Amino acid sequence: MSLQYPALIVVVPLLSALVISIAGWVNKRWCFPITVAALAVAAYSSVGLLFRVLDEGVIVYKLGGWDPPMGIAYYVDHLNGLVLAVVSIVALLNAIASKKSIEQEFPEKIGPFYTLYVLMVTGLLGIVVTGDAFNLYVLLEIAALTGYGLIAMGGGRGPLSALNYLYMGTIGACFYLLGVGYLYIMTGSLNMVDIAGILPDLYQSKAVMAAFIICMVGVWIKMAFFPLHAWLPNAYTHAPSASSSLIAPLVTKVMIYVMIRLILTIFTPEFSFNILAVSKPIVWLSVIAIFMGAILALKERNLKKMLTYIIIAEVGYMVGGAWLGNRVGMTGAILHIANDALMTLCVFLAVGNIVYKVKGAEFEDLQGLFRKMPFTMGAFIIGAISMIGVPPTCGFFSKWYLISGAIQAGHYGFMVALLFSSLVNVVLFFRVFEICFYEPFSDHHGHGHDRHPEPMDEAPVTMLVPLFIVAAILVLVGLYTGDIVNHIIEFAIPKGLV
Amino acid sequence: MKIIGLIVAILVGALLVYAAADFPAWSDPASPASTYLSPHFIEKTMEETSVPNIVTAVLADYRGFDTMFETTVIFSAGMAVFLLLRTFRREEPEARHYRHVLTGVTLRVKEGGELPPSDDFERIDSLWTPHDLIIKTVCRLLIPFIQLFALYVIAHGHHSPGGGFQGGVILGASIILLAISQDLRTAVKRMAEKLDALLCSVGVLIYAGTGALCLLLGLNFLDYSALASVLHVDSIMARSHGILIVEIGVGIAVMCTMIWIYNNVSSGGKYNQGL
Repeated sequence: MSLQYPALIVVVPLLSALVISIAGWVNKRWCFPITVAALAVAAYSSVGLLFRVLDEGVIVYKLGGWDPPMGIAYYVDHLNGLVLAVVSIVALLNAIASKKSIEQEFPEKIGPFYTLYVLMVTGLLGIVVTGDAFNLYVLLEIAALTGYGLIAMGGGRGPLSALNYLYMGTIGACFYLLGVGYLYIMTGSLNMVDIAGILPDLYQSKAVMAAFIICMVGVWIKMAFFPLHAWLPNAYTHAPSASSSLIAPLVTKVMIYVMIRLILTIFTPEFSFNILAVSKPIVWLSVIAIFMGAILALKERNLKKMLTYIIIAEVGYMVGGAWLGNRVGMTGAILHIANDALMTLCVFLAVGNIVYKVKGAEFEDLQGLFRKMPFTMGAFIIGAISMIGVPPTCGFFSKWYLISGAIQAGHYGFMVALLFSSLVNVVLFFRVFEICFYEPFSDHHGHGHDRHPEPMDEAPVTMLVPLFIVAAILVLVGLYTGDIVNHIIEFAIPKGLV
Repeated sequence: MKIIGLIVAILVGALLVYAAADFPAWSDPASPASTYLSPHFIEKTMEETSVPNIVTAVLADYRGFDTMFETTVIFSAGMAVFLLLRTFRREEPEARHYRHVLTGVTLRVKEGGELPPSDDFERIDSLWTPHDLIIKTVCRLLIPFIQLFALYVIAHGHHSPGGGFQGGVILGASIILLAISQDLRTAVKRMAEKLDALLCSVGVLIYAGTGALCLLLGLNFLDYSALASVLHVDSIMARSHGILIVEIGVGIAVMCTMIWIYNNVSSGGKYNQGL
């Protein structure tokens, strides 16, 4: 069966999504178990696949039995093996953690919600596993469409921000498709490895250069890279908890994976870094992204919105790291995909718990939370110090690689930006801790004098256990960073890049 | 802001046109797109899949995996519209309106009140526009022929332009025409919401399930030649039959999604008389 892992990763969630939508009409209680079972199979297959890749190297799976480039093929190497495992595990943990909040927020629409949830995971896993540039676009469409639906379920301004996201996301996807179209005209192929083989003769062609630029800009829109980021904060803030803790950790990270795949596999580092002399300006752009993300986060008075601006700064980390053009920076960027997905999941799950109990994430709502929800806040602290970059949490190590890469490339602006953003994160998170810790819980009945100690009112166990698992993973990944880099990421980067 | 937008649009357009200078000439027989993979498809499709229509073979077999996900895209769109628009919590109106079809008399029935037992009443909304007799009759006459043509388009995709997507859209359009020419309640009576939603999933399930069956029979996902042992034909013919099976799945999924989206959008998720 292990030969079929690449197909199972995508096919099992797809079939389950259809079964869930049927179950939604027959008996709603079946939806959740099917969701968890499907995501567990996907997670099991992707971890199994990662271990197979570690043993055997690149795995090719021919869909429909046709040889590439006639048919579509899946290529699983160390790079997407790692990202697949992260995506499927994050999706599984979030599905378990958000059961209660889904039941609370839209009890009569559980079936369609889980259907879109699982379809979205299918789309994200499909984007990562595929070795075909057009197949990637189709899965991108699925991930995007379902994402718009999941975000628009948020009340209030949710639908409006989802509409805004829809416009931007559609433009981004169109740009990517246009770029693939240009590549197809020039090479006649859609298979990534095949295109990479044909391109060297065409490196001087203007059309190939344009294809590269259009694809890159499209992917940047999708990942909310700084000047193109405007859709992200509102969309993620107004989404329901269950959606935002799926979409915030995964979508931007998967798009960064796509960018790295474009750089490393389709266009090769030789073309991306040497023939096109654009690395320096792009790293400067990411410096601006980091600064702006950090500064805009400072002015927010809503915890969830503050975190969305931190995501924008983190996107700057990874784009900059990938474009430094050296091995250490690329290692940092790839490692940060995994780490950032996990720590974003950690803080968003914690916020989900808070919203579940307090019904809001404005700073005023957070007062006295340490006493009220000590376990949630404990996990939130671990996520926060990982985002700041304190050892032994994983955030420290990827930031370390990024800074080393910046020094090696002689790009001190990027180094300064990373340090600045870490300091701002310290300010941001300690301000939140202060509000949660010191100020008394506001008493709505106006009895300002007699302060009853607010009774503990913690989120349900099903929400806490996944949160603790994520927090533990943050520390574990930090402790095993050396193994991850030496056994996985080392082989994910082509030898040519030094 | 408008001026910035205009400048950006012009710059992007200029880049695309500038880059297009390197393209091969129009209909150049020596261009990469027509020399690299196309000869294989043109020469080998009949031999490898026994489907005379090359486009169908590329769409549903060589790149069948993409097509499966295109069907899923349509399914997700329908599902997203349903998730967002459908309102299950009814704001119960104080009174319902019924129209006596033969006399045109409108009855207003208060909450808890009952109608006289008769089939001559139809439920209407308070804002009701009368049906036009000519439109109603012409559409009733047309719809069966539209549906027959749709089935032909689905079934004949192997030989002529057509296939599941096109046929499915035509089938869906026939039901939507019924909803437009009469009202949504009439159409939903023919095609209930639950049936429609279930068929949506079943359609995609036929496609993905065929792929999974190939996987269970020991070959790769969507490798239709594995169906040979089930269908009792040789492995080349099995590919042709596999394509027909998935086209039927696509047809069902597309038809139901079209109807589903129309129903939800036209009635704002309330499933009243619509539009």
